[in-house]
Amino acid sequence: MEAPIWALINLTRQPFGVKMTEFEPKILAFLCNWCAYRGADLAGTSRFHYPPNVRAIRLMCSGSLDPVYVLKALLDGADGVLIGGCHLGNCHYQDGNYKAMRRVEVLKNILRQVGIDEERVWLRWIDASEGGLFSETIKQMVDELRIKGPNPMRKPWQVWQETVGGKSSIESKPKKERVK
Amino acid sequence: MKVEAVLTVGAVRGFLGKLLTEGVVDYLLVPLGISHGRSLAQTLVKDPTHLDQANPFSPVMPVSGAAIVAQLTIDKPGKRLGAVLKPCEIRALVELVKLGQASLENLVIIGTDCLGTYEVEDYAKLIDGMEGTTEEKGAKVLADMRQGTKPLPISLRPACKMCNSFTPLLSDITLGLFGIEDGVFVSLDDKLAKKLDLEVKEAPDRQQAINQLLDSRTQAREQVFAEFRGRMESIVDFANCLDTCIMCYACSSACPLCYCRVCFFRTDTFEPESERYYRWADREGALRMPTEILLYHLTRLNHVAISCCGCGMCESACPRKLPLTTIFQTVGDGVQKALNYVPGRSVEEEIPLATIPEVKV
Repeated sequence: MEAPIWALINLTRQPFGVKMTEFEPKILAFLCNWCAYRGADLAGTSRFHYPPNVRAIRLMCSGSLDPVYVLKALLDGADGVLIGGCHLGNCHYQDGNYKAMRRVEVLKNILRQVGIDEERVWLRWIDASEGGLFSETIKQMVDELRIKGPNPMRKPWQVWQETVGGKSSIESKPKKERVK
Repeated sequence: MKVEAVLTVGAVRGFLGKLLTEGVVDYLLVPLGISHGRSLAQTLVKDPTHLDQANPFSPVMPVSGAAIVAQLTIDKPGKRLGAVLKPCEIRALVELVKLGQASLENLVIIGTDCLGTYEVEDYAKLIDGMEGTTEEKGAKVLADMRQGTKPLPISLRPACKMCNSFTPLLSDITLGLFGIEDGVFVSLDDKLAKKLDLEVKEAPDRQQAINQLLDSRTQAREQVFAEFRGRMESIVDFANCLDTCIMCYACSSACPLCYCRVCFFRTDTFEPESERYYRWADREGALRMPTEILLYHLTRLNHVAISCCGCGMCESACPRKLPLTTIFQTVGDGVQKALNYVPGRSVEEEIPLATIPEVKV
């Protein structure tokens, strides 16, 4: 039987040499225009290889990222969210990356408290000259997310259907991480 | 210097009136009885004759006074306003000042001790079931609440049951109820006391009464926290808390700290063209509608948890009575402890989200 067109598109989007059945993490990256985005650019022009699991969104500053967009990505099933900003002290707008740092701290704290794996959100400082670091970060992130497995929010209907006390097939956080 | 005086409950209205007639303030924001005492509403009073229905120890809080003071002071009108506020309203006001949404300029904060508040509808029913004049009913409720030994047939709002900050953290004039039998303890500036012709007395020992209540409230609070934290294993448990949300945005309207003029959840930011919904349904075979319940509540948590003052207006406003107080207080407590911040503690202490943190190397 002839494969439908969307299946072909899906096939072509799979990384070379990876079987269809293997879990491919999807990462959404919010990258600062002045550093991480240029770092990603440099990784490309320098031919540093990194897995094609990341979709980049350019921001003017990591400090301009409202947590709602990170949450939207996670709740819509992204397996990981990377926020790339300038190294501390290097912000193009003086202190945007410090603000990002605080916001991410609060965001992760809240995610931990409501039972979402906070380690799916990464905040990394990547300079415009650090193409190598960008590709390494993506490789590392993909590896770790592969171990974690898919985000339970890939199946939101299942999340709504689960009942209290029922046997949950949804990822739960390790006990030791609980906030006391 | 602060001095103390003791007034009878009835004399408090006279005291508030004097603030207006003596020109200490031009306007007074105070809860006034409406609908024959069935409810109370924050009222901006210019003419002291209207104070005959005033009740600074209002047993209901239909809206947070902090939001009203913000509305009255955001553009610094230069009017001297006296605002009778409960401790949680003062905490929220301090947060709003730090967020640039209110001003303490020309503002006299008249903080009251709080015995807790009831849901508006419960209180109205209670008043309907009582006999006597409006005045007597109000006085009886206050007396019963103060004694505490005779529990009223209705219970306090969930937020009040677990409130551990029931005395004003910041105020120019304090109207106290704890630590004295039936009068009202007034703490104010000595010059002001002279101007108002108040007889200065030695302060009663309030600490013991306050500590006693604090212990039981802290216990209740820790219990709620422990119960919620024990339950949150995965996102499923959080979704279960919010499963009947109808996305009416009442909680954000009632929250004094949700100050955005236009919330982006009420814009079309997250409302895609209908085609997308069908595509999402295709993906899993079913799509829960409305779609953004978790996103909405988690975003609100991210925006206000650090400043959450625990007034519980969100839960009182919720038509589905979702456990929003528990969620926001517990998560807020975790965030505030992690960043070593107490909302409403002082105007000088900056909100950590706006400060440059020390860098750990």
